[in-house]
Amino acid sequence: MTMGDIITLPVVPLPPPSDWKQEPSQGNSISPFVERKLIPVGPAYLAHVRRVVHDLSFEEHDK
Amino acid sequence: MSLNGQVPNGSAQAPIEIPSLQTVIGINFGNSFASIAVLTKEGLAECIANEDGERQIACAISFHGEETYIGNEAKQQLVKNSANTIIGFRNLLGKKFSELPKDRSTSSAPVIQHPEVPDTPAYKVQVLLPAPSPLSPAASSLQTPRTNNTPAASQFATPRSEPIPAERVLTPADVTTLFLRSLLQSAEAFLGKPVDGAVLTVPGWFAPVQLEALREAASAAGIRVLQLLEDAGAAALCASANVSTIATTDVGPDRTQLVVDLGASSSSLSLLAVRQGLFHHLTQPAHHLEDVGGDVIDDRLLKFFAKDFTKKTSVPLKVAPAASDAVADLRAEARLRLALLHTKRTVAASSVGSGSSTATCAVESLKDGLDYTGSINRMRFDMEAAPIYASVVARAGELIQRAGLDWVQVDEVVYAGGSSCLPGLDATLAVRLRKNATTPFFTGTVAGGGIGDPTTILARGAALQARLLAEIGGGTAVEDERVRKAFEHESEHVEVKATARTIGVLFPEAAESGGLGGQWIGGIQAETAVPARRTYALEVDLGEYDVGGEKLVGLEVWEVKEGVKVEKVKPPKDEDEAPESEDEDEEEEVEVAERTISKEV
Ligand SMILES: Nc1ncnc2c1ncn2[C@@H]1O[C@H](COP(=O)(O)OP(=O)(O)OP(=O)(O)O)[C@@H](O)[C@H]1O
Ligand SMILES: [Mg+2]
Repeated sequence: MTMGDIITLPVVPLPPPSDWKQEPSQGNSISPFVERKLIPVGPAYLAHVRRVVHDLSFEEHDK
Repeated sequence: MSLNGQVPNGSAQAPIEIPSLQTVIGINFGNSFASIAVLTKEGLAECIANEDGERQIACAISFHGEETYIGNEAKQQLVKNSANTIIGFRNLLGKKFSELPKDRSTSSAPVIQHPEVPDTPAYKVQVLLPAPSPLSPAASSLQTPRTNNTPAASQFATPRSEPIPAERVLTPADVTTLFLRSLLQSAEAFLGKPVDGAVLTVPGWFAPVQLEALREAASAAGIRVLQLLEDAGAAALCASANVSTIATTDVGPDRTQLVVDLGASSSSLSLLAVRQGLFHHLTQPAHHLEDVGGDVIDDRLLKFFAKDFTKKTSVPLKVAPAASDAVADLRAEARLRLALLHTKRTVAASSVGSGSSTATCAVESLKDGLDYTGSINRMRFDMEAAPIYASVVARAGELIQRAGLDWVQVDEVVYAGGSSCLPGLDATLAVRLRKNATTPFFTGTVAGGGIGDPTTILARGAALQARLLAEIGGGTAVEDERVRKAFEHESEHVEVKATARTIGVLFPEAAESGGLGGQWIGGIQAETAVPARRTYALEVDLGEYDVGGEKLVGLEVWEVKEGVKVEKVKPPKDEDEAPESEDEDEEEEVEVAERTISKEV
């Protein structure tokens, strides 16, 4: 499993609340990130480094 | 080096076949035992046995006359030749003499201040040197052989006349070099060709100076060190490399993993976020349990068997500790200690049905020429080891708490280290884990060299990593070198930012009153290093429901905080399975996805 793989999930939603409506994006951002240290091991770390070193996006790296 | 010119490289999963002419291995170098793994043609990592048929190779070197013993044979020498038998040297690498605790036990060659080098630990052993040679004995005794592929003992071979008694002073680094060279030779003998590089495992708590000392000692042994990889990383890599092959587990690619490494003299616990193959510690540093491991289990078993011996023979035997001047007791203890590994292996095997429920401990001439055979059943064994299991679980609980998590949020346990083979430990941990969390015992991969086998997982992980490093290529020389450097200690590439909270989508539902008010599907979990990409295809079945003849589905994107609600009334299972998600005030965006996916499921 790598980051490029598509995870397929079945969803069977029930009807939404009667007053539910589409709202415009509130543009809020997510919580501040936390600082972490990866363990330099495994193919995913190698891929992470390659993207940085070769300056690639995920899609470019997929090719 | 690019083999196919302008043609783009293969995908991340299937790198272009660079005919890797390199032969690489993984070495697990513990303070008590080491193991070696090689890569098979099928691409698997496998632990190999050395010339003595041992996969768990004791980190011991013993000097006896002109002989040098390395490994399990050397350990046998602890009975009658303890003063010339060196163990426990790995943990002294990079240490100053003045830093060492002064109350170290002396069941082996004592650690002394080096006679010439200031503030440096050393061992002094008695050896017999070959007859006079042009080289003075003093000089040769200090000399560390540098030549690659020279059997360690060969320098003492073929004496021309009477050998000369001499003292040999070795530093922990010298001993490490001799020992690692013998591992290298075992690997080369097995493979039938020279080894081009190795990944060595190291404790997560090794300081830079210790890493440096190990790297130097390994180089002196003729090993090209591809990486010094921390134990938890080797275990996690090996465990995740195998995840897809385990049909019986439901561990996802994003999970929280507890790595329990129970060795002999110490243990360590690490709580890792595993995020599609990327690993990071959720707490830094990991827990290093300096007083928990197989040795303390052995202490208790020693007392148990010594008491039994006395009961059966009326010969008093005081062990763990034996009085320092009671030679017979000291030797009896050394013999018993050696025998206990077999006893523990039997107990471990009993968990998988291939062994009996009682384990024996047999020692010839234990004391006063009397042989001893005793037995211990699984229940009694677990009773003896219970305090050790309990402290592992307690310390793991602390670690989980320190990460702001709860036991029910641990998805997977990975075991490393010989003492993790003991089924009672898993049973004790399992009580705290949620029902569908997985452990190698649960999946049945711990048994007899299975993929979860704690005695080989570190070496195998190191071998897998060695192959990964050997295959780096495809860029310019400069780029490839930068990629390789990213695996060095303290590389800037390990520094990442990670999400603090889980982001996902919500399908609002009228019927859903509590919780988030709908169906929640987590997308990017908390503790995911960014940039991250997760691609989901949601196959939405809308059934009969439509709005004014149109089938619409609404979904909202939220960031949620995951917590655990502990309720006393209900059976714990219910809460375990549905960690409560609370809305956050920062609502990111709300959108309607009309027919994002086909209505026909
Ligand atoms: N199959 C087994 N069942 C139970 N215990 C075992 C088994 N194999 C080895 N052990 C025990 O595991 C311990 C060695 O573990 P390991 O090889 O992980 O040591 P290590 O990492 O070198 O130890 P240290 O903590 O000293 O660095 C010893 O106490 C040994 O008796
Ligand atoms: Mg260890």
